[in-house]
Amino acid sequence: MLGASDGGRKLVRLAVPLDNAYAGAQDSRYELRPEDLLAADREARRRGMDLVGIFHSHPDCDAYFSATDLKNSCPWYSFVVLSIRKGEFDHANSFLPNADQTAAEEEELTY
Amino acid sequence: MAKVLIPTPLRQYVEKKDSVELGGATVGEVLAALTTQYPELRRQLFNDEGKLRSFVNVYVNDDDIRYMNRDATAVNDADTVSIVPSIAGGSAAGVIERAATLSNEEILRYSRHLIMPEVGMEGQLKLKNAKVLLIGTGGLGAPLGLYLAAAGIGRIGLVDFDVVDFTNLQRQVIHGTKDVGRKKLDSARDTMLDINPNIRLDLHEVALTSDNALRIMRDYDIIVDGTDNFPTRYLVNDACVLLGKPNVYGSIFRFEGQATVFAYPGGPCYRCLYPEPPPPGLVPSCAEGGVLGILPGLIGVVQATETVKLILGSGDPLVGRLMLYDALSMRFRELKLRRNPDCPACGDHPTIRELIDYHQFCGVPRQAPEPAPGLSEFEIEPVQVQAKFQRGESFLLIDVREPHEYQICRIPGARLIPLGELPRRVHELDSAMDIVAHCKSGIRSGKAVDFLRQAGFRKVKNMKGGIQAWSDKVDPSVPKY
Repeated sequence: MLGASDGGRKLVRLAVPLDNAYAGAQDSRYELRPEDLLAADREARRRGMDLVGIFHSHPDCDAYFSATDLKNSCPWYSFVVLSIRKGEFDHANSFLPNADQTAAEEEELTY
Repeated sequence: MAKVLIPTPLRQYVEKKDSVELGGATVGEVLAALTTQYPELRRQLFNDEGKLRSFVNVYVNDDDIRYMNRDATAVNDADTVSIVPSIAGGSAAGVIERAATLSNEEILRYSRHLIMPEVGMEGQLKLKNAKVLLIGTGGLGAPLGLYLAAAGIGRIGLVDFDVVDFTNLQRQVIHGTKDVGRKKLDSARDTMLDINPNIRLDLHEVALTSDNALRIMRDYDIIVDGTDNFPTRYLVNDACVLLGKPNVYGSIFRFEGQATVFAYPGGPCYRCLYPEPPPPGLVPSCAEGGVLGILPGLIGVVQATETVKLILGSGDPLVGRLMLYDALSMRFRELKLRRNPDCPACGDHPTIRELIDYHQFCGVPRQAPEPAPGLSEFEIEPVQVQAKFQRGESFLLIDVREPHEYQICRIPGARLIPLGELPRRVHELDSAMDIVAHCKSGIRSGKAVDFLRQAGFRKVKNMKGGIQAWSDKVDPSVPKY
């Protein structure tokens, strides 16, 4: 997610879809290639925006921050999780993990 | 001065700059300079033990330093160093979590690994979470299977469709005499699970082909090539390049072996070393040329070592170096290999974007062509040769094998003239006489018959199936080899 950040609040202005690089059942796991994130960061710089967060979906599942999400997270970005029910968007939540990947704080999300 | 790009959330620690220019000859020095100048950044990038946090990747230009020299990766003035997080996740449904602990039995089992800091608990868990595909459970596959199982690789795939036979036992130590006639996969599975019941084995009872290779290989982190033929080597190589998985390569012939790691990021692939396959028939297989039984043990163990090092991320991988071993002189040598920028598989502008027909590429028929039915006028069955002896006919049986084969077994009354000596010893033969030639299986004696016919002999015949067929059809007391 590209946009602007003033330290506290983040505004998403552009969502860039990245490849799910997970080798296996992709409906329950995702993995981003660092090269793709690097390219997204370059794109943000080119457009004068910031990379502010990462989004992913939980198909037919709640929008919670799972143990897998937490263990593979990074405290520098907001993680928006979308719950998709039968192919339709249902709801979303945003989380900010800590540096030790032991806990994530839920953030206020307006959409 | 190298330029370090700072991700947005970290700019608060570097006076809101989006990049910082820093001195340093290596990534380690540049990062040290960065965190010295901006101490608050240190906690963001490094954990309490001073290691880069698990979610931090460092790139020099477009290359991940994990696949270069890590901290020691050289940095030049014009280079850009980027800090990139690694991100993954997913819902809990259907997720197979990575093993996070070892059982007490495993801790005891792996204790000699665990007490070395280079492996330790972290490394042993990496081994447990690793997925390695072993192509072939023959000469190279045997020591590979034994040691990878013992080392605690959590998931090992085996590809083979062959059956154990007696000629395998001289080198394929994963199989025993009791296994002769069994599927190699079943025999290898039993041995590996006996060594280590904690591992998971996937048995792929197929010949690896262009149709199934990507699907089979996709689920594994590292591919180990234990095959013995050129079509499969090119297939494994191209599939590894396409999937971006390292190919731990070994090959053996008689007393000599080679090993290296292909298709590692930035390193060469098999096609960089051998752009074209050798002409069909030029390089003999182990069945034709023989192999010292211990040789695949040594080369397979080198492959197993490289596999474990790749998983642990320790040491210098055998990338860009072809290790050559000669058992007779007991010498190891090394050739430097480079990625060829024009390589059709891994070059800058690859033209191989999908798997091709590798039998056609190597000029090798998929199966041996069917022999013409019946006997040609220059062929004779072993039983007919036996009848000639029994009738007391005057004829000459020549054995065109090598002297060391003659020592293994012989047909009484046969005269040894090795194929290579035939041209200069042809004067020993009388072209008016009936001559029958034989070898082990009928191939070399076929060449001898062709040669003699060109030399003007008319009454020459090749004994079909060689001394093997003689053993089957005439005299079982003659051993087969």
